[in-house]
Amino acid sequence: MTEATTAFSDRLARNVMWAYITTGIVIFGLMVLVGLGMRAEQAQWLNYGPGLFYSLMTLHGAGMITSMVLCGMGGLWYLMNRERAMDPGIAWTAYALMTVGVVCVIASVWPGGFGASWTFLYPLPFVGATWPGWATGAFLIGLALIMLGWTVWCAQLLGCVLRAYGGLRGAMGWDIVFHHARFEASGKTEPPPYAFAALVTAVDGLFAAAGGMLVGVALIVHWLYPGVAIDPLWAKNLTYFFGHTFANLTIYMAIGLVYYALPKYADREWHTSAVLAVAWWGTLVFVATAYFHHLYMDFAQPQAVQYVGEVASYLAAFPPAVVTIFGGALLVYRSRLRWTMGSMFMYAGLIGWLIGGIGALIDATVPINVSLHNTLWVPAHFHTYLLEGVALFILGWVFWNLETHSGLTSSLRTRWLTGTGIFGGGGILLLGWYVAGADSVPRRYAAQPAPGPDIASWATVGAIIFVVGLIVCCVEAIRLAKSRRSETSA
Amino acid sequence: MNSHSAAILVGFLLCAGAILIAMCLIASTTHDKAEPQSGVQPKGYRLRRGWLWALAAVAILAFGISLAGFPYGKPAEADGPHFKVFAYQYGFQMPSTIPVNTAVIFDVTSRDVNHGFGIYDPANHLISQVQAMPGYVNHLAVTFRTKGHYAVRCLEYCGIAHAAMQEGFDVQ
Repeated sequence: MTEATTAFSDRLARNVMWAYITTGIVIFGLMVLVGLGMRAEQAQWLNYGPGLFYSLMTLHGAGMITSMVLCGMGGLWYLMNRERAMDPGIAWTAYALMTVGVVCVIASVWPGGFGASWTFLYPLPFVGATWPGWATGAFLIGLALIMLGWTVWCAQLLGCVLRAYGGLRGAMGWDIVFHHARFEASGKTEPPPYAFAALVTAVDGLFAAAGGMLVGVALIVHWLYPGVAIDPLWAKNLTYFFGHTFANLTIYMAIGLVYYALPKYADREWHTSAVLAVAWWGTLVFVATAYFHHLYMDFAQPQAVQYVGEVASYLAAFPPAVVTIFGGALLVYRSRLRWTMGSMFMYAGLIGWLIGGIGALIDATVPINVSLHNTLWVPAHFHTYLLEGVALFILGWVFWNLETHSGLTSSLRTRWLTGTGIFGGGGILLLGWYVAGADSVPRRYAAQPAPGPDIASWATVGAIIFVVGLIVCCVEAIRLAKSRRSETSA
Repeated sequence: MNSHSAAILVGFLLCAGAILIAMCLIASTTHDKAEPQSGVQPKGYRLRRGWLWALAAVAILAFGISLAGFPYGKPAEADGPHFKVFAYQYGFQMPSTIPVNTAVIFDVTSRDVNHGFGIYDPANHLISQVQAMPGYVNHLAVTFRTKGHYAVRCLEYCGIAHAAMQEGFDVQ
């Protein structure tokens, strides 16, 4: 391949990446504002009523997860495309399917008024609905399209990983773990750490998509033929299997980007080792089995799976805590790391992931779950690792690219402003959920019982500070992007 | 906030604070003269082994302790008074009084969609809960030690009046 062809191919791949990431970030920004509006309603600063609140809640949940998935998809696709070229046409097909799906979901909420939450627990979308039937259909079809696009993307990524490293055995690092000397003697190149993230995302992503499509199609059939009954416990298991896995994978996609970029900042290498490979095998299994913790309070579940839920939830914490986050800290320790917006976000994301993980583990302990299940402790911990974990990894990746291609970095003042807003404001916002959750305030309440509104008031101040930090960050990103363009045109 | 919840919150915040301090200290070392990666790795890997065993010990201990508090078992056949609870959009059909210091079993189901049956004590703390699901009966065993009025709130999103779905009973 000539240099010109390689450059052209890289440009096409970058176009794919930026389309996914830009779309994801735009949706993310809008959903942040929707979330702010919801918190302001709970603080009784606004009073737009439960109908709109629950529609916004539905949009916020579905939109946030989709936005982070889109960003992770773009970044990971770009990285893996460097390992083994993929057909951009397939990536664009997945993008188109997901974009149309997002439009359908938005239409279901506005003007449709759909408000059954993104978890759409059967039979809620069909019983006591305050929205028209077409809105339910639009939401379900929209989700199905998003799942379809996701499936196409996962299948392409899986094919890429398998072709790049000689099948499943090579991609999983089997020989690195069990036949290390022979592997080294063979002269083969081990998969880079982000390839393990790609493999796990693709495999668990396909399982999650299968579960999501199964329950989604069942609900669509019920929507068309209401006489077709569905078992609510079966639907709940599939919904949470799909939802938990899909949402959880966002962080494993995003960490793939950190595996690549953080060592560049630190002027070190993030090696593939037997420990790293085994850690990702664990992630492959435990991400797909931890979802049972969503059904701890469903005593009709077989008892054995309640134990599996707690054990899998605990074990899921080991690979990130012992290998990835510890490895990230070790990479930074006594290194020449350049503190820029990109490295700051990536490193801070490791902290958010770890702290959010502890919040999750507390909630995943059955006797504690009795007093925390479906309280505000739940949004507390998942917002910690989504807002202060996944989102930061993605912002870090965006800034890594912008800084690399513009040759510029941000001033200390800009970094302080952004950090104060996103970490400080975000910290206050999160603390509000933790305190309210420990104080038994239920989640998903448009109007909360005391002390919910008082806590929501100061938490909303934190949310506003967070938004200000995010705006500063966006302005800085645009500045760097413009510099890049002007340099390119020059 | 009761002492149980306060302990959970404080424990979590202490862990979060310790992580924050440790990670900030690590970040501050980048100001020092850089050490080669091969220099920090052996020490780091030794520390990682210790970290792994420490986490494993905490996880095993937590799992072992938690087993005693699992709310399952077979309360469907348990002795003691059973009280039927029907959840519906947007209310609960259930008894108005419950005996104190008696192991009672709530047989909880739903007439329409998924709901939650969350019991709040007179001080407004969530003390127990179970899901109410159409087509299934979940059996929740509770012993009330304190007399007074207990509120019941729906803890599974069930529609537009979810937040208003609240009833109560007196423990006498």
